[in-house]
Amino acid sequence: MNALDRSCKENERRIKDILTSEDILVFRFQTADGKACAAIYADGITDKALLGEQVARPLSSQEAPATAEEAATALRAPECKQVTDPQKAAEEILAGNTAVLIDGIPAALIAGLKKMSTRAIMEPPGSVAVKGPREGFIEDVKTNMSLVRNRLRTPKLQFKMLTAGRQSRTAVAVGYLEGIADEKTVKSILGRIAAIDIDGIPDSSYVAKFLSRRPASLFRSAGTTEKPDVLAARMLEGRVAVLVDGSPIALTLPYLLVEDLQGAQDYFASPLRATLSRVLRFCGVLLSVLLPAFYVAAQLFKLQILPLSFLLTISGNVQGIPLSPGLELFFLLLVLEILVEASVRMPKYVALALSVIGALILGDTAVKAGLVSSSAIIIMAISGIAAYTVPDLVGTTSVLRIVFVVAAGSIGTFGVTLLIALLLYYLTAAGDYGVPLLAPFAPLVGRDLKDSLFKAPLGDLGKRPAVFHTKNETRLGKREK
Amino acid sequence: MEKLKVRQICFYFMAMMPVAKLLVYPAALAFRAKNCLLFSSLLNSLLEGAVVALVMLLAKKTGKPLFVLLEQRAGKLWAKIAYGAFALYFFASALLPLLEQKNFVLQVLYENASTLLSFAPFFLLSFYACTKGASSMGRIADVALPVFALSFPVLILLALPHADFAALLPLSAVPAREIAKGSLFSANWYTDGAFLLFWLGHFEYEKGAAGKVLGAYAAGTFAVLLFLAVFYAVFADIALRQQNAVAQIAKYTTSFTSLGRVDYLFLFALALVMIFRMCIPVQMCVHCLRRTVGCKPLLPSAAVNLLLLALTVFFNYSFLEVQTLFTQKLWSVFALFAYLLPAAAALLALRRRRSP
Repeated sequence: MNALDRSCKENERRIKDILTSEDILVFRFQTADGKACAAIYADGITDKALLGEQVARPLSSQEAPATAEEAATALRAPECKQVTDPQKAAEEILAGNTAVLIDGIPAALIAGLKKMSTRAIMEPPGSVAVKGPREGFIEDVKTNMSLVRNRLRTPKLQFKMLTAGRQSRTAVAVGYLEGIADEKTVKSILGRIAAIDIDGIPDSSYVAKFLSRRPASLFRSAGTTEKPDVLAARMLEGRVAVLVDGSPIALTLPYLLVEDLQGAQDYFASPLRATLSRVLRFCGVLLSVLLPAFYVAAQLFKLQILPLSFLLTISGNVQGIPLSPGLELFFLLLVLEILVEASVRMPKYVALALSVIGALILGDTAVKAGLVSSSAIIIMAISGIAAYTVPDLVGTTSVLRIVFVVAAGSIGTFGVTLLIALLLYYLTAAGDYGVPLLAPFAPLVGRDLKDSLFKAPLGDLGKRPAVFHTKNETRLGKREK
Repeated sequence: MEKLKVRQICFYFMAMMPVAKLLVYPAALAFRAKNCLLFSSLLNSLLEGAVVALVMLLAKKTGKPLFVLLEQRAGKLWAKIAYGAFALYFFASALLPLLEQKNFVLQVLYENASTLLSFAPFFLLSFYACTKGASSMGRIADVALPVFALSFPVLILLALPHADFAALLPLSAVPAREIAKGSLFSANWYTDGAFLLFWLGHFEYEKGAAGKVLGAYAAGTFAVLLFLAVFYAVFADIALRQQNAVAQIAKYTTSFTSLGRVDYLFLFALALVMIFRMCIPVQMCVHCLRRTVGCKPLLPSAAVNLLLLALTVFFNYSFLEVQTLFTQKLWSVFALFAYLLPAAAALLALRRRRSP
């Protein structure tokens, strides 16, 4: 399409030809010397009060500016730029800005008058902190960027703005600390986002799929957080942040599996307490995945592993149960998944009734009816609860424990051992942006172990994690003894 | 093959090398060398240690892979022939440990009648491992060390209350000839030095690497000797009948009545390391085959694993025959590939390098 010309009317027509929707409005007015002006904007996402105050009033009270530069000075909008392409102007209008056309000027002035109704900054329900900051990201990328900048007030904090989605034209901000984040990683992330060719990006998880080398993997390849303090801390370690407009979840790359075991409040608690918490979370994941499988394998193939008194109790429990231990636990885990799915989607007032039906009536009646054993229900309950010690891994653990139960039910303990070996082979080979998923354990990175399962005191974390290939390794200045 | 780290090689020798010698090897050694089994094992370890030292010396002098060195000295054809021969050797050296592992799994990990079907999925894992590079092999060594360090000492500690170390005396009870025979006939359990030869050029020699690797080898050897000592101290004269030794030594601990067989938890952990170790000769076989044929890993991985599966099925009930063949008939072939050829290759490369 041709560039904008000097006629305000013609320019308005060209833009309206692109934006035919009825919510694209035109506000026509004149300068003091009678030249025609038009402000084109999208209804609902533009601040009309500011439009009148910063655009219409100054222009109508003076003579028409001769050039675009003069016009930009005349406007009182703090964000103002000029475009000559009607397509670009249309994109800006759709982003909530206003295109101002003045007769005699072959350009459109884009005034940043976006006004979106956003929810307030509040504590994210998925990452509640007992101690520490409570603010969380919202759906507006600009607000989220400001939250990060508020915590990292350094000129080295860089944001690269990109657009993704053919139809959605979603704004994506890639943030990193210059000199700390690995340049190759930043370049690679920018390249992958630029190469995204999809109609729409409803959420940051879509972008995460494009940023991953193995998008179909059971294990995610991008870290996520809803908290600016966590994001800032990760960026200080050398990670790159990706903020997507419309999503309160920020992505951090490269991702390490161990970061899911680290909680934000570990850094505010004593190192011993933090280490204990992390070890408990790790044991929680292991229990969640392996306990049902070992219960099945022990019952089917290796009774000796259980103490005699415990074995007698279990054998008393399972007498008369029509299903094999493998099938019994498989179905119980399925029921657990159904209950979880239903409780997430159900209105809050029904959730209480659901838990009564699910946990009490269904469980108790099933045991009384002799369909399942009470020990199997206990195992399922422990496994289900333990999974939530690391909420970010719940999706992965719930699939894995079913696979492990199937392996245990069919091949027994050796099947479980083989599956663990397979998982370890897979995990040791996985990783993106040159950072292995299982670092700092495999490959072993001694320095990074200080903040992994074990949490060293803050004074001992003098260097940034080596695994991110950061140029600037020092994070802690020399202390006086 | 991608890059390995010296640390990972050390971990391999410390954790994965010993686990291959915890099943049938102690009983086989006790059969030949009786209470002097430690001497037999030490002799083998010294020979293999010498190979390790030579290879590390070679690594210090040249950072090139063995294939390149052979190619430079004898031409591409001979390099391919050598790799082909070693592929066969690694294939053969994988078979007996696989049958050992199969028997261990079926006899120890199951109480009910189990079939080969329970063991067969191992080959899927092995196939997957073969398609991965050396970096994955190294990272697995990183995982294996803590698992081994956690489980092996516990099993030894659980066995100690029942050990009578006087059973290892007198030291001169067995003639030297039998001790030497014990060593030679167990050469098939000593393939780790040959692995190192093929890792040449796939790790960067760093300052003090030879010392570290030899130290790690010594640590691994100590673990084997310790295990053999405890094993013989627990079972003494009936040791030669105790196959799957690792599963036997700790089973008499009195606390089991209240705790159950907790040693099984550590045994499962060791079984995990054993699984990783079983994959190594298969991976090395695929690596050699790839260099010989010049193809991607998928096809040789599938072929080698299928063949190993077929042989495992074929020799399902003939472990003793295969063991007799490997230890008493083919011992010289194993000794040749385990000690002589790697040493000769290293010496040749070092000598040629010195000459102008």
